[in-house]
Amino acid sequence: MSSTVKDKDTALDERVEHLVRQARLAAAVFTQYSQKQVDAIVKAMTIAAIENAAVLAQAAHLETRMGCTEDKILKNYVASEFLYAQIKDKKTVGVIREFPEDNMVEISEPMGVILALAPVTNPTSTVIFKSIACAKTRNCAIFSPHLMAANASNQTAKILYDAALAAGAPKGFLGWTEKSPRLRKETERMMVHPEVDLIWATGGTNMVRAAYSSGKPALGVGSGNTPVYVHKSANISSATIDIIISKTFDNGTECPSEQTLVIDREIAQPMLAEFKRLGCHVCTTEETAKIADAVIDPKTGGMNYKMVGQPANFIAEQAGVQVAPRTKMILCQLEGDLRTHKLAVEKLMPVLGFVIVDSVQAGLNRALDINYAGGTGHTAGIFSQDEDVIEQFSLAINAGRVIVNCPTSIGGLGGVYNNLTTTLSFGCGTGGGNITSDNVSIKNLMNYKRVPRRKNQTMTFQTTKNIYINPGSIDHLRDLETRNAIIITSRSAARRGHLAMVMERMPADCRVDVFSDIGVEPDFQEVQKAAAAMRASQPDTIVALGGGSVLDAAKAIRLFYDYPELNQKDLAVNFLDFRHRIFEFPKTQKTQLVCIPTTSGTGSEVTPFAVVTDSEKNRKVSLVDEVLLPNVAIIDANLTRSLPAEITRDTAFDALTHALEALVSTYSSDYTDGLALEAMRLIFEALPEVLKKPNEVVWRHKLHNAACLAGMAIGNASVGLNHAMAHSIGAYFDIPHGRANSALLLTTVDYNSRVPNKFISVANYPIWIADKKYARAARFLGLVDKNAGPEGSPEEVEAAVAALKKAILELGLSTGQPLSIAELGVPLDKFQEAIPTLAVMSFEDMALKTNPCYPPGEDIVNLLISSYPPRVPVAQ
Amino acid sequence: MSAKSTDKGTNYETVRIMGSLDRSIEEADRLLAADKTDVLLDFSACTFITVDGLEWLEELLLRAESKKHSVIFESIPPTVYKVFKVSHIAPILRACGGPTLPNGPVC
Ligand SMILES: [Fe+2]
Repeated sequence: MSSTVKDKDTALDERVEHLVRQARLAAAVFTQYSQKQVDAIVKAMTIAAIENAAVLAQAAHLETRMGCTEDKILKNYVASEFLYAQIKDKKTVGVIREFPEDNMVEISEPMGVILALAPVTNPTSTVIFKSIACAKTRNCAIFSPHLMAANASNQTAKILYDAALAAGAPKGFLGWTEKSPRLRKETERMMVHPEVDLIWATGGTNMVRAAYSSGKPALGVGSGNTPVYVHKSANISSATIDIIISKTFDNGTECPSEQTLVIDREIAQPMLAEFKRLGCHVCTTEETAKIADAVIDPKTGGMNYKMVGQPANFIAEQAGVQVAPRTKMILCQLEGDLRTHKLAVEKLMPVLGFVIVDSVQAGLNRALDINYAGGTGHTAGIFSQDEDVIEQFSLAINAGRVIVNCPTSIGGLGGVYNNLTTTLSFGCGTGGGNITSDNVSIKNLMNYKRVPRRKNQTMTFQTTKNIYINPGSIDHLRDLETRNAIIITSRSAARRGHLAMVMERMPADCRVDVFSDIGVEPDFQEVQKAAAAMRASQPDTIVALGGGSVLDAAKAIRLFYDYPELNQKDLAVNFLDFRHRIFEFPKTQKTQLVCIPTTSGTGSEVTPFAVVTDSEKNRKVSLVDEVLLPNVAIIDANLTRSLPAEITRDTAFDALTHALEALVSTYSSDYTDGLALEAMRLIFEALPEVLKKPNEVVWRHKLHNAACLAGMAIGNASVGLNHAMAHSIGAYFDIPHGRANSALLLTTVDYNSRVPNKFISVANYPIWIADKKYARAARFLGLVDKNAGPEGSPEEVEAAVAALKKAILELGLSTGQPLSIAELGVPLDKFQEAIPTLAVMSFEDMALKTNPCYPPGEDIVNLLISSYPPRVPVAQ
Repeated sequence: MSAKSTDKGTNYETVRIMGSLDRSIEEADRLLAADKTDVLLDFSACTFITVDGLEWLEELLLRAESKKHSVIFESIPPTVYKVFKVSHIAPILRACGGPTLPNGPVC
């Protein structure tokens, strides 16, 4: 006997191998098909299905003795004609979708060999549906029918396969397992066969479970238990007919069909009367008990499979309940606690439970009781004219499809009563143990290859709208449109006479207040204090007069004055790219801001940045947004005449650093490059002259312009590594900003001009060109020796970078500007102690994000160390 | 048909596959039956391959193996190469110069 079993096993293995190999080869060949070829095959299969819809429905009914032929014909039509209408124009080959805005396309890739299960309840329609869907997506299917419906299923598969083949489908693209006692075993073998790519399981819970446990990707279905809430606003007559159509459709075998009605008391009696009038039987309490005994399997608590898809009269007879001939449906009131009622489960037969409720709340809760009694993720229905109730129901219920004012069974199939995707495979999401809650169709049968193109970064250039630029341009204040202004300044501005100069020039009819309490490093408290002071006088204009700190403070003060509800914590959230920044700044400002710089350094008068100290956290916060840009800048060098040499130098080196960093920034552009180069040229030329002749306004003017040009450059291209490290050193050792910058400048130019250890991952910086840009600066400044080699050659670029570094060194040495950390007066031991902290602070600084390379932490430590030793003149 | 010497110095008779490969190519069958030479199938002009074509290739390769001759494929367009890849047929992938799939399934 054992050899017989073995022989049978061998034969079974051979059958499995044959089926799978056939499908595998067909899947390989199918990859070459065009959309046109595929569509011709799909059309031929659809026509064959329509022509045979009745024959196949009859065969299914004959073999299974379930449901009714007429409805099975309709299902065959849904699976062919309706499906075809939905998919015929869909792209499933090649580029199937384009996303021009995202610069991306989607290309389909077939899934391959699909093991497709067909259930006893829909043996022909499922095969029609699945084979057409597979053809459309260039997949190959091996059908595993239900044993009790195998002949009908396989007859369907053969008809569709022949039609497909005649239309050019690859040989073997559909296969099926023959009806035999070992069918189940054969299916199980295929479920774990390495050449099967996907299991598409539609059928009983056991088969779906087996599919999932095979370890293969599987599209499964969950079991249903459809609650249908009939709200008092429903149209009773049409709802009753819809429910009868739906629940009796194919004798209730459709899994989305109604299982329990939840009816509002106001309409319960008329509705039940209507059911009776239309040929349904409403059971008494005793009859309900008898029906429950007959249709529920006491062992499992689930439905008795002998009753599945049987007519109402047969069921009544089996239960011993007297009903009229040709009764359409049996209604049973589920009294007592619904959650424990025997009939509150799925009944794929014309037996429908109902409960009566007194409120929407109770209606929703009873619907949830049914929904969560074995039907989560599947289907639910509602009859209501009240949109609010429909929405409440849909929000509460866990169902992949909530059918509104339609029969849930045919409604769930999609395409007949609504525009749901046509399917015979109901995804139930995680509620039903599935990966999708879709009406499974062609969309679920493709692999999607997304082909994103590099982001097209659009760049803008923005700066302050009105810039008045000559010595004496402060006179423009007279023409300001303001009735009520506040001058925000520091005490030193008052001391240096600047405040008086401004006051004298304010329009005659303008009320002017002064807030001169801005300290060296303004913090949020000072900002809020100034904003609060302004609220008392309600100025329409702020005139900010002073160095970078004052101008930055004024930008922040205006923001909080215009938008008192803003939260500084929100504003300070860090970001990698300002376009994706979490916090959204207001789009406009209400108050005019006029900036009058009294140092030639930060360029704050033309930048969208404001640095404010967060004293609570002992850190500096950079606010960045175009809304911070001032409306007017007055670049009047007369205001820098009294600037001490030390501050003149420091701030000029800040501006030089701006120019150098903007030039190589990953956000640099032709627009910022021009500004950066000219700023550098002016600084190299004017700074030594200013220091020699501090009272000659011409050179002051050039330097003042340079700072403003460099400000426009960083306002759009931002800064880099040098500023990141300078911010940390400045904060840690309390060093003026410009000086902290100059101490690092030679190290960072050197570092940024070498091939990076780590390239920066920014879409708009595809080529690393920092060295070439420094070389361009050197050429522009006339620093490159003619004999350095052909322009742009590696040796010429190297020589040019070296010349630039030498020029910076010489400018520092000749002006007495510190070019190392030691020269800042920081003791070595204190510095060494600080290095780990400085490295972390630098690494976290936003300025680093636009540096042309990404310095790893180790590099930052090394950069700090090499910035320490004092600089000495280079031997000529 | 023409004689060709490969990198390894072996002599092959070349058979060019034209258009759709949907049946056996007599010339290749004949060369192999003559038992005198190895065969190089040039796919550069092959535009499509059917299941019958695939089956013939596999069978040709098995015949060659039993006769201790080799059949190699050359100039394979990517669409055809993808068919070979998806087919998972080990002898075909070997004829393309690739190793037998180390872990993957083989038909
Ligand atoms: Fe700066």
